[in-house]
Amino acid sequence: MRRALRKAAPYIYILPALFFVGAFLLAPMLYTFYLSFTQYDLMTPPRFIGLDNYRRLLTEPNFLTSLTNTFVWMLGTLLLPVGLGLFIAVVVDRVALAGVFKSVFYIPLTISAVATGLIWTWMYGPDLGVLNTILRAVGLSGWARSWLTEVPTNTLAMIAAWTWKMTGQNMIIFLVGLQAIPKEPVEAVKLEGATEWQTFRYVVFPLLRPMTMVVVTMSLINSLNQFDLIYVMTQGGPYRSSETLAVTMYRESFTMFHMGYGASIAIVLSIIVILLSGSYLRANLKQEGAQ
Amino acid sequence: MKRRILVYLVVVPLCLVWLLPVWTSLLVAFKNLDDYASQSFWQLPSQWNFVDNVKYAWNKAKLGTYFINSLLYGVAGAAGSIILASLASFSIVRLRPKGANLLFALIFSGTVFPFQMYLVPLYKGYQELNLYDTKLGMMLFYISICTPFATLIFRAFFSTIPNELMEAARLDGCSDLRIYLQMFMPLSLPAAAVVAVFQFTWVWNDLLFGLILTCSADTRPIMVGLAQLQGARAAANMPGLMAGAVIASIPTIALFTALRRYFIQGLALQTAGE
Repeated sequence: MRRALRKAAPYIYILPALFFVGAFLLAPMLYTFYLSFTQYDLMTPPRFIGLDNYRRLLTEPNFLTSLTNTFVWMLGTLLLPVGLGLFIAVVVDRVALAGVFKSVFYIPLTISAVATGLIWTWMYGPDLGVLNTILRAVGLSGWARSWLTEVPTNTLAMIAAWTWKMTGQNMIIFLVGLQAIPKEPVEAVKLEGATEWQTFRYVVFPLLRPMTMVVVTMSLINSLNQFDLIYVMTQGGPYRSSETLAVTMYRESFTMFHMGYGASIAIVLSIIVILLSGSYLRANLKQEGAQ
Repeated sequence: MKRRILVYLVVVPLCLVWLLPVWTSLLVAFKNLDDYASQSFWQLPSQWNFVDNVKYAWNKAKLGTYFINSLLYGVAGAAGSIILASLASFSIVRLRPKGANLLFALIFSGTVFPFQMYLVPLYKGYQELNLYDTKLGMMLFYISICTPFATLIFRAFFSTIPNELMEAARLDGCSDLRIYLQMFMPLSLPAAAVVAVFQFTWVWNDLLFGLILTCSADTRPIMVGLAQLQGARAAANMPGLMAGAVIASIPTIALFTALRRYFIQGLALQTAGE
């Protein structure tokens, strides 16, 4: 009896964590997978309809708009929060006043996506909003517009707000990476007379590559899962023009009660996320063997 | 040389762009409705109305209730996941039962999939189990969603503790449970701090699960309350809304300022896979 207990003990330590994760995350996930093959409206039991939901995805204009927006978000994320984060990290690293600059970009890290959405809704306000006021003041009133109700301006405007929120986080990770770069090769090429740009392009950036991969992966996944900002700023509108997959899934499931169809969108989203995170996951799971 | 020019030409203006939204939003939070409607964004308020705006947000818009709710959820999520994850990681890294890697992969898979995969079954399941719109249900969920990442952090941390320590304690006749409680837990305070800062912030900032798992003011978390306050913009109380945003940001700003080191460590640990 005691021996059996001793043998079981290691599993008993793991059990509580496994139970919570299994019951609240993994089981729902499997059920969503099943639901994606059904028609389900919460009231009547799910009815199996094979691949019909997936077939519908291919022809549904709302889904295709949403898919397009999702890719625009991914592209925008790579160009702006990642690119800008790298740029700021490289420029600010080991410069006078670096602490002050860094603190400025930390600020949005401490503010939730919901509050960020509120702040930027105010910035983009058509009448009193900061952006339009500035444009009118500098004589560009022709550029002033209703930023969040025009297509495709609304998606681009939200990506800009997302850039404000996420650049600091990417900057931090890049700075961690920069600090880990050995100084000798950098000093050596500088002695050889390389310019700052050449040093960055041929020495620093290649050494930073592993970190860049991580930041790119994490940023893409974050932007795919991004829901709060759109929910607060446009609710995906007007006329569902600024939805991404994460928002479309929510709307189909919880305002239109197309639970089965919504589930199939969740599956598509998952597939994109898994494809993107493959290498990152392998690295994390492999770590065990590396000890 | 060149870098210094870049700093002044690009980084300084960028800093100003980054500060502008915070500065103008704060100004709005200090204005009364008349000033908000009649002034330009850069003008200082004619009357400092911050206290009244906070009162509006805290009492009338009920952010006070939601604030307390979210504190409860955040503490439960952080504390619960620290206990579950440290216990599991101790076994995975140190006791190494057969299949430990597989069990870890199962727990860790909770960080992999988009949240949309959980929504509908959770909503339905919560209604059937009478957990829907209850504080208990919210706490249980937040503990669960915080556990996978917490396990990742504790596993990484525990594997840095030298094996000899554990062997020595075992020779002294310590049970595994005592080793966990009296040796690993006190040593793992930095890891616990990272998890606490990260997961509290995550729960505090969560909107999505608050939206689908609650429907009444008694259980609503702060971000849902804030988003709905904005949704009710018909009232157009922008200063009250901004005061609400300030209230909702105070705990995370305070945490970050006080424990920045752990926050950055957590971010770096997320990338440790490489």
